Amino acid sequence: MPEKTKFLIAGICAVSLFGFLTLFTMDSQNQTLSFNNILEFAEASEQNSHVIELSAEPLPNGQLAYKMVSHVVNPDGDNTDLTSNYSSQPSIPGPIIVVDEGDEIEISLTNNIPENSSFASNIVSLHVHGVHYEITSDGTLMSVNGVSDQGAAPGETRTFHWIAGPGTAGSWPYHDHTLIDTNGAEHKGLFGMILVNPASEEVEVIKEKNPQKPSKTIDIKHIKKEFVLYLGDDAFWGMEIDNTSGEQNPLWVNPTLNAKQNDYVRFHLIALGADTHEFQMTEYEWLYPGTSDKINKVDIGPLENHQFTVKTKKGTAEYFDNNESNNLMGMKGTIVGSPKGGSSIPGVSPI
Amino acid sequence: MNKLQTVMAFALVTSIALVGASIAPSVETSIQSVMPNLMFASAFTGTPTHTIEMTAETLPNGQEAYKLVSHEIQGDEDVPDYSEIATIPGPTLIVNEGDTVEVILTNNISGKSVGFNAPGLSNSNAKVATGDSKTYKFTASDAGTFHYQNKNNASLGLFGAIIVNPTGSIGKYVQEGSGAITSADLEDLNREYVLFMVGSTFWGQELNSGEQIPLWTNPTLASTINELVRFHIIAIGDDHTFHMHAHRWVESSTNDNIIDTKLLNDGSRHSFIVESGADVGEGIWQYHCHVFPHMQSGMHGHVHVVNGPHESYPGANPYNVIFNPDIEEEPGIVTFEITDEPGSWFKSARADALAPLTVTKSLEVIRPGDYVNFVMSQTDTVHSVTSLMWPTGADHMPFDQTQSYKGGGIVELTDPGLYVFTCKVHPYMFAGVIVDDPTTQIELDGGVIVDNPLLPPLLGNIVDSDGGLLLDFGETFSLVNGYQIPTGSDLALRLAKTFFVATATENWRDYTNPTWNPSYPDLPVKASVYLGDLAGGGLNNSDNFAPVAVKSLDALQEFYFDEASVTNTLFDPSVDGVGEVWVNAQFEKTQLKTKPGTATAVDPTTWLVTKKVALPGYNMNNPHNMWTDKDQTVIYQTEWFSNKLTTFDRITGAPISQIKVGESPAHVLTRPNNDDIIVSLNGEEGVAEVLATTSPSEVNRIIATQGFGQDPTKPHAHWISSDGQTMITPNAFTHDATLYGFDTDMINSKPPTGIIPIATAMTPDDEFGTVANLLSSSISVVDLDDGTHIRDINLLGDYNPAVLVGINDSGGLLSGLGVDLGVLATTDVAALPIQTPISPDGNYMVTANTLTSNIIITDVSDPDPNNWSIAANLPCDPGCHGAQFGAKSGGGYYAYVSSKFANDLIVIDMDSLTIAGRILLNPDVGTVSDDTIVSLHGMGGQGVMPIPNVYNGWVQNLPNSWKAQLTDSQKNPLSP
Repeated sequence: MPEKTKFLIAGICAVSLFGFLTLFTMDSQNQTLSFNNILEFAEASEQNSHVIELSAEPLPNGQLAYKMVSHVVNPDGDNTDLTSNYSSQPSIPGPIIVVDEGDEIEISLTNNIPENSSFASNIVSLHVHGVHYEITSDGTLMSVNGVSDQGAAPGETRTFHWIAGPGTAGSWPYHDHTLIDTNGAEHKGLFGMILVNPASEEVEVIKEKNPQKPSKTIDIKHIKKEFVLYLGDDAFWGMEIDNTSGEQNPLWVNPTLNAKQNDYVRFHLIALGADTHEFQMTEYEWLYPGTSDKINKVDIGPLENHQFTVKTKKGTAEYFDNNESNNLMGMKGTIVGSPKGGSSIPGVSPI
Repeated sequence: MNKLQTVMAFALVTSIALVGASIAPSVETSIQSVMPNLMFASAFTGTPTHTIEMTAETLPNGQEAYKLVSHEIQGDEDVPDYSEIATIPGPTLIVNEGDTVEVILTNNISGKSVGFNAPGLSNSNAKVATGDSKTYKFTASDAGTFHYQNKNNASLGLFGAIIVNPTGSIGKYVQEGSGAITSADLEDLNREYVLFMVGSTFWGQELNSGEQIPLWTNPTLASTINELVRFHIIAIGDDHTFHMHAHRWVESSTNDNIIDTKLLNDGSRHSFIVESGADVGEGIWQYHCHVFPHMQSGMHGHVHVVNGPHESYPGANPYNVIFNPDIEEEPGIVTFEITDEPGSWFKSARADALAPLTVTKSLEVIRPGDYVNFVMSQTDTVHSVTSLMWPTGADHMPFDQTQSYKGGGIVELTDPGLYVFTCKVHPYMFAGVIVDDPTTQIELDGGVIVDNPLLPPLLGNIVDSDGGLLLDFGETFSLVNGYQIPTGSDLALRLAKTFFVATATENWRDYTNPTWNPSYPDLPVKASVYLGDLAGGGLNNSDNFAPVAVKSLDALQEFYFDEASVTNTLFDPSVDGVGEVWVNAQFEKTQLKTKPGTATAVDPTTWLVTKKVALPGYNMNNPHNMWTDKDQTVIYQTEWFSNKLTTFDRITGAPISQIKVGESPAHVLTRPNNDDIIVSLNGEEGVAEVLATTSPSEVNRIIATQGFGQDPTKPHAHWISSDGQTMITPNAFTHDATLYGFDTDMINSKPPTGIIPIATAMTPDDEFGTVANLLSSSISVVDLDDGTHIRDINLLGDYNPAVLVGINDSGGLLSGLGVDLGVLATTDVAALPIQTPISPDGNYMVTANTLTSNIIITDVSDPDPNNWSIAANLPCDPGCHGAQFGAKSGGGYYAYVSSKFANDLIVIDMDSLTIAGRILLNPDVGTVSDDTIVSLHGMGGQGVMPIPNVYNGWVQNLPNSWKAQLTDSQKNPLSP
């Protein structure tokens, strides 16, 4: 592609001339590349390689969940072992895989769910949204992908390959797509998330003091916590990541989210099941992704995702689903901004 | 030509004839056609850019579609190469931003008016009558994707897309490699796909090189790798979330939000561009709706990305359902609309053409490999689409979802035989599909099946001697409760009877007629009789079966069940009841409402119907069950095919309030200790609590009947203990019961039960709970403290449904066969139990059974449930359903029993365990009503609520004026 090559050469020249990065995004309407994408070509050698092992486990109450077994980054290089960041127990949502745009992931799944004779299919899989994968890593049955049954039989392990290539920045669900039948057993708890941080290393937040320019960008290193909230058919299921320590803390049902006031925290909402939800937070506003629209509620339907970053306010606010039946079933929790912050408080857990 | 071919040809001819019919326009339409321009928001003057002629047509399967007749563009530009037939979706209108468009629509569909409503463009709601034409105008002032439809009635296929293209960039996509968000012009697109999401089905069309190619249902969409393809996704009716594997796109209302799943509500449109296979390569990539019950009901297709030219593969097609073995192309599709209409809860789109032969509007006939499509288009609430019965071993069976939902279903049926579908929320909704292989024939000679000389002639000559086609039901069918049954068996005939009685209102038992004469299709049928395990392998060895054929299913059923020999007798009990007996005549049709049902009051001293409360102001929809406040002043009424709890004044029938509580509210009780109102939500995951009031205005909370993340329970008929602290719910979808403690606000236990537990009761001392299991035909008994399972009472006795041919008339059908066919049963037999209340004094449990149309009375007085035994077996009516106890004057109780497909109320004297009376529920001369009953008088008996409420826990709280009418025992039922 000649256009790309032209810009690539220009980009390399720009880097070597100026020596450090200035973010310069051209109007994407005019079919040009943004500067940060050019940078990615130059920095292709900085792509990380993740080798991850998960397992699928049964829970005592009949639910099923993913569990982290091991996560190593760049085994042929730095060989960083991140396993201790994760809970040693299965969780719903499952482990949050955090990568950078450009990274590769080799992720294996071991099936520890006993065979069930009432299931048409006893293999369990990982089907991912958003990132790149070939048809052999679709995580579906042969009747869907035309190639093979892509899952692990009880006691066995299957490996999938994902690439968080350019253009895949975002918060994407992964879930089972083969257990019980061709629709999979996501509704039993087999879901998690892969967070692809953008190559720009920036997100947009509301710029409070200047109505003329409603948003500004901040470096993601300023985000102190990640709150992952899955919206199920009758409850929120949460996970928090403390970006200072890297630790993942399963929060289970309708948790109380704790953060230090004025810290930036990033929310990742994913809906799953049958319901359409209207997610609302009292006290808070945020930007609809990809726009400069300020909102305080959003409609979200099954497997849509919605990521936003806010500055923690002092005091207590409520997050809830305004879907009538879910609201009446108590589908809500609180977010507390305090001087010290601290770990969030998990809700009811099946473990 | 055999009878079936005749009726199919008749249906085809009728459809074509109806299409060509022309009826004089109504006055209303005439006025509108004179003044069109005043109706439209964006009318224009002068010659339009586009002049388009379209028609609305009926398709061979009864569905409806738009067809393009002509399209002229000012400036003589090329028009697309449209399909020559009416298609679903209809022709895609492609215009440029700023164009003016004039559409002249001619309605060729008989019996209804249709329109061209294009939200966001033209806001016209005007419709055009059969045979008439109307002009619609709009200006395409904004770029984007829009749609046109027959407003409020588009689900059968009257919809199509409108694409308004701007000059310059038409959108952005994510480029391969760089991931850059890149702009595209119209010329950059290689092809476009239009996908409508309707029910649980995609209806598609390809736009390729100027050609519009119908792709019909859940098509395989072709694409060459790295092509730019634009998708237009449009939702009609329900919420959907569109997702495609391995691809991502720019959300169009944003600068750079990259997504792969998008929510669409009714009328939403979403278009996006993808670079096919970008960064992922070739493959068969699934696209689907990600709403989980829609996934489970068939809502998916494929995008086939290949390295080279490729054609899309269309799905099942409404043109291929004329029963013609010569048509070999794409599979056909039949469509059932799901409705709230008594009898026709599943209504085939071409039912009116088929009904003369099928008797019911809920039966379809297709070929192996055709598809069945369901759409919840005429109903106010949620349902499931669940296979009840299918040929053993059939592909794609069972068909089911883990929860109730709004949507539809689509499934391919490949194996010949009979399939019956139901809804797990409202389990007397039925759809039947016969898959008949037109190539199989049976040689017959004088009515005897040649390969088994043991069988005598059946009811005379079977078919014409040229050996025509029969409907072949095969050897065995499988039931959702796990049974495998020979197709020629007592149970098969009973199930067929249930289907044809439930789904054809003229087959209901009308007690104003002297006898009951249901009729069945006059069709030849072949089935198989199980002779016993003669050759090993039991039911799975064909050598153990003998084929039987009957010339007429109608004649066989009438012979076998002989209903006509039973007279319809009405008589009043000799002893009065106390108070007032309320019955929901749930299927009564009234003049002022579009939905059925009344709450009917009977005076148990005169045994006359005194009141019928229809609540036309609320358009009360299928009132199912009632309760009352502690002062007996109001009636709380659930609307089971809606989401409402309705309250009215018991004395005057005046409406008090109607509030939304949740989907498919089934039963309602108060807590005897505090009068809080508890409504079971059969379409949700719990029960709604309304704090004590005689004028409900809001729900306080929904109490979950399962733990977080556990499968949704969808409870039906709950009960509450006399101390108000314990509730038991029968969980229709999870086959267990929930024991909930109000005092602790916790689920104490969740004991498993039989299949589709549907109703519950408690012994008045709060020791034991009973759960009626509809499809297991059993009653589970559990300890109310900890949920321990005590026993299951098997109502089937020694009835052998699996291995039986119980035709035991004298000189009957199979006498002389020389084979021991087994005995039907030696014990009492009851099947498909529903309501099962226990008398206030704890002596008896009365169970209404809907398959066998009988009432079983069980002696439950023994403190050990293992000693409970059947005390009486009394005849009931078709659709035997509801039961509740009321006080008898002077002491003792009556059990009042209602039946869905009859118009009588049975009164059982609990002292003698006999039928004391049978009361007609039709309106009488003295009946006071807020509406007029126009059809199905007295029909649909379900909820029963005798006033005063004499159950233990509640009776003690009655006002003194009521207590004064009761005996001491009635006021304290547990005292010795």
